[in-house]
Amino acid sequence: MVDILFIGLSLSSILLLVALGLAVTYGAMGIINMAHGEMVMIGAYTAVMAKIWLGLGLIAAIPLAFIVTALAGLAIERLVVRRLYGRLLDTLLATWGIAILLQQAIRLEFGLSFFGIHVEGLGSGLQNVPVPAALQGTLRLFGHDFNAYRIFIVAMTAALALATWVVMYRTALGMKVRAIIRNPEMAAACGIDVKRTNALTFALGSGLAGVAGVLMAGFKTVAPDMGATLVVDGFMVVVTGGVGSLLGTVAASGLLGEFNALVAMVSNDIIGRAAVFAVVIGVILLKPAGLFTFKGR
Amino acid sequence: MAGPLTNYRFWAYAGFAILLLALPLVGDEFWLNRVAKYLCYGMLGAAVALTWGYAGVLNLGQGLFFGIGAYAMAMALKLKSYTSLQQGSDQPVPDFMLWNAQPGAPTELCCITPGSWMWLPFQWQWTGVIVAVVLPAILAGIMGRIIFGQRISGVFVSIITLALVLLVRLVVTDAQPLTNGFNGLTDLGWLTVFGHEFDPYAKGTYYLVAVALILVLGLSRLLVATRAGTILQATRDSDTRALYLGYDVPAYQTFFFAVSAAIAGLAGMLYVIVSEFASPSFLELSFSITMVVWAAVGGRGSILGAAVGAILINMIEAHVSETESLVEAWKAIIGLLFVVTVIYLPKGLAGFAHERIARLAGPRAALQLKEEAGQ
Repeated sequence: MVDILFIGLSLSSILLLVALGLAVTYGAMGIINMAHGEMVMIGAYTAVMAKIWLGLGLIAAIPLAFIVTALAGLAIERLVVRRLYGRLLDTLLATWGIAILLQQAIRLEFGLSFFGIHVEGLGSGLQNVPVPAALQGTLRLFGHDFNAYRIFIVAMTAALALATWVVMYRTALGMKVRAIIRNPEMAAACGIDVKRTNALTFALGSGLAGVAGVLMAGFKTVAPDMGATLVVDGFMVVVTGGVGSLLGTVAASGLLGEFNALVAMVSNDIIGRAAVFAVVIGVILLKPAGLFTFKGR
Repeated sequence: MAGPLTNYRFWAYAGFAILLLALPLVGDEFWLNRVAKYLCYGMLGAAVALTWGYAGVLNLGQGLFFGIGAYAMAMALKLKSYTSLQQGSDQPVPDFMLWNAQPGAPTELCCITPGSWMWLPFQWQWTGVIVAVVLPAILAGIMGRIIFGQRISGVFVSIITLALVLLVRLVVTDAQPLTNGFNGLTDLGWLTVFGHEFDPYAKGTYYLVAVALILVLGLSRLLVATRAGTILQATRDSDTRALYLGYDVPAYQTFFFAVSAAIAGLAGMLYVIVSEFASPSFLELSFSITMVVWAAVGGRGSILGAAVGAILINMIEAHVSETESLVEAWKAIIGLLFVVTVIYLPKGLAGFAHERIARLAGPRAALQLKEEAGQ
């Protein structure tokens, strides 16, 4: 039973990794960023490239990936998302287009493959990132064996969630973001530079996705389309938890991850995933605003 | 609503219908078979425009209804295929069920695999035809009653529909003995109507699809021009106001949701007749979003525009795909096209054409356009 709960915790942490960034962009900005999964993918590829070009290990790639994806997010916000504020469904569609573009950019090696130039690490092939030796194998805790890297991911996810909370609730930027969540016009009237804050928020959300990508590169094969399913899972978590509520996102990822593991134990993985979708549908039907909500907007 | 634009609109629909019916004069059977598939996609585009453009409901699970239509028809046609008749039973039995059967299970459709009795009604091909259209409509009716009755709107509807199609995809792939899982249903027989066999590579099948598309477009256009369609657009622009004016908003939304589902089911059914397979890939998220892309590029506010958008994009895609190195580049182009359309042409090609025509036709037409757009 402890094993099952740990599998559930592991699934939850992966869900939360993806959902954290989405909770920030969707919750705070009202942007449905379908390219969020591709930010995870870019983070994973940053780890791949850092290994090949700079000889950096997985841990060292984490800050690098944060910077790379945050900059990518900033560019996307400037070029596309900024023009679409207030058009929620249109942001969904435009960022879906960006997601395809980014996937193809990696697959076609930014177009260089047309000229016969091959960049090692890019392309449509699968890539792997080795896990540091210290995190390989299992760890014995309370009489049970746990996969060391999974524990590392759980711990990292908890640390990231805490960091996100600190940014949102203990910094000037976070206060501005929360003011914008409650009432964008009033926030602007109070002198908050909404555009600048939104751009920074989007960069932060993207950067979080980049870190998630590096961590995932340790146990998943890295491929151009690895992000496509992640973004759906992430959205389900954010919507189930309640838009704009960080606590809700954490709780929902825990709930859905554990539920997935429990159902998968009594049936199989496919039905486990299907059950998660069923729970999400049920929650939205019964509580459209999500499990944790606040009054606002 | 009569006005100077109405004439242009009528001629656009009529011209499109004539073009479709004239195509067999210029193309061979192989090409027509491909075009017939795109016409099915065109039907999907129209279905998306109906809910998204007119009702303001973005269904990201339209593939569910297409998939139901496709699987219902494919089940009926699978039982008519030559291999299904040759499994040593007096009733037809799909070949994959034998591969999946427990040792010693009777080779009868009723009980060869758990749940295989569900296939029994499909021995009569019209079951497939009826289920393909009616089941999506009923399902959408139930979904609509629950979703719109709860006053759930916007992105939450999209997430529910999206979760539902992914859920069904998982269940379908998991039920290997019943659906052949990931492989889908292949090796199908032909639809037979009054002794005429619809060979996918014959002109008759092309005409079947073309006439169906013309009917769908014409009837949908008439439907949105009715009072119900007007109320629906009022709901899209301000649902609270429509509600307080005394209209049963959820009922109208549910009705159009169900019509759109039936169209998608019909498209799935015809697609199977033309392409001779049904696969769980119809239930993938990317397919459902791709439909939305077609409708957005063609023009979400125009049923004809969305259909034409779907057909054109697929025709270009097929053309480009003949050059192997361009296949991947084409996907990037689609992504870019989509971003550009959403930002610069939010009403799609049809909206662009509307504005041009209105400008040419003078101020009265421009006024009508504005009224219809609810500005």
